Amino acid sequence: MTSPDPNKQQGLSVRWGVHRLFNWLSLSLMSFVGLMVLIVYEARWVYPEIQAYFSQTGSLTGQQLATRARGYVQRAQEELLVAASPLEINSARHSLELAYGLFDVDVYRQKYACTEPSLALMDELAELLDTQQVDPFDAAHALFIPVQCLTRIEMNQLDQRGVVINDFSSSTRRHHQILTYSSVLIFALGLLFWIMHQRQLKRTERANSEKIAWMARAMCDPLTGIGNRSALYQDVAAYTGCSMGLILVDIDFFKQYNDALGHPEGDRLLRRLARLLKSALGEQARLYRLGGDEFAALLPCPNDQMLVHHCEALQLGLEEAQCHHPAHPDNKDVTLSIGGARFVADATSFAAAYEAADKALYQVKTAGRDGWQITASA
Amino acid sequence: MNAVPSRLPLRFGRACSKAAMVLVTLLLVGVSPAVQAQALSLINGESTQKVALGDLRDRADTAFTVFDPFQGRDVDMRGISFRDFLIEHFGEVPPTLHFTAWDDYEVSLGGWDDPSWYLVTIEDGEPLSLRSRGPIRLVEREYSGRDIENLRDFNDWIWMIRSIEAQW
Repeated sequence: MTSPDPNKQQGLSVRWGVHRLFNWLSLSLMSFVGLMVLIVYEARWVYPEIQAYFSQTGSLTGQQLATRARGYVQRAQEELLVAASPLEINSARHSLELAYGLFDVDVYRQKYACTEPSLALMDELAELLDTQQVDPFDAAHALFIPVQCLTRIEMNQLDQRGVVINDFSSSTRRHHQILTYSSVLIFALGLLFWIMHQRQLKRTERANSEKIAWMARAMCDPLTGIGNRSALYQDVAAYTGCSMGLILVDIDFFKQYNDALGHPEGDRLLRRLARLLKSALGEQARLYRLGGDEFAALLPCPNDQMLVHHCEALQLGLEEAQCHHPAHPDNKDVTLSIGGARFVADATSFAAAYEAADKALYQVKTAGRDGWQITASA
Repeated sequence: MNAVPSRLPLRFGRACSKAAMVLVTLLLVGVSPAVQAQALSLINGESTQKVALGDLRDRADTAFTVFDPFQGRDVDMRGISFRDFLIEHFGEVPPTLHFTAWDDYEVSLGGWDDPSWYLVTIEDGEPLSLRSRGPIRLVEREYSGRDIENLRDFNDWIWMIRSIEAQW
């Protein structure tokens, strides 16, 4: 049975987190968009109603047709009451015609039974006035019938208008309540989703940080705190195309050192050597522990002279540090065997450079240790 | 000789009197508002042009049937394209028109560069009169999608048009 790959698991977890992150964000945004849509919809609903009921002043039906018709019937009555000449009677006829035109509307005929007889009466009176077969006074009196009908229509229409306005008012109140509660609910949901999104965002950030830290740890030698072999390969890839120097370092007679002083002291020496490498090679050098007492340094190096300079600096630094080696066969302090090679960084040339540096190091070992050597550029 | 009273002169006199009355009435009717509604005034700045109603009826070259929400039925109407009429008399469609009706209703409205408006003078084969909300009425030939139960949606149907003033 194989254990699950932690790297893969971490990646899946981050991807799932990102997925959920977008879900919460989408839900949150959808809620706020929904809120906007609701508000716009409600406003759109209310606006035409307001237009219909409250913006008719001065327009054709702003004043009821019945009101206008009644006005002309009453004007005809007034004119007939004082009519002393055919001209005055004709003026009254004109008013009557206008009243008829405004009165003769289908909705009145359909809804008010008095409309048909009133219009018929007006028609008859018009004919009688044309042929002077009716006394103007009598005609004016007869016109009270259409006036009463029109007044009834006006009152009824006003009542209906009042009912409609009351309904509209109730409906508006109801819509207002719906809008208020819905807005609060949707806003709360949006806020909740936003909080969930923020929470998820923090989790994802934490997961990312953990992943980065885990990856950093995976590239680090826990004993010395410098990079490991994986970090070396990664850095070489990062420097692709650059002229680099690779220095391999091996502690001479480290086994004897451990045997004499114990492994904790050996570990301390390894840590000390890591610090020494850093101070001797400078900030630009990247350091790695490849295993046991073998170290490597990768650093920008445009020519062989610089590589030589680094090797010398390293050996000088070690001498100055005077690290005591109680079991050195030559009674020396701790010494190093150093091999170096220069190369233009890429995956293929690195393998050759590593081999060349290692070869140089073993040549130093073979020659009695405590020295350095570089090989021709890889 | 005793004069024999005869009824003939009396009857003749009464007939003459009636005829005179009818004549006077007709003469008076000739200047009454009802008959004044025989022309449409077109006002463009300082100039006023009268278009005879008879001419408008003669020129009514477009017939169509439309549901008139005020009459609650399909009505055969005949008239002329209002946009063409405006271009003919004002050179182009004015941005706003001020209408005055025979019942003294006044309104200013814009948006007349629209081929669906017709200046109607004949309805169901009969010339429009004041009692049929004429003699000139503005009607929209196409108004699909509007609620025919809501007469407020037809406020722009101007009735009993007496004058049209261009407002630039």
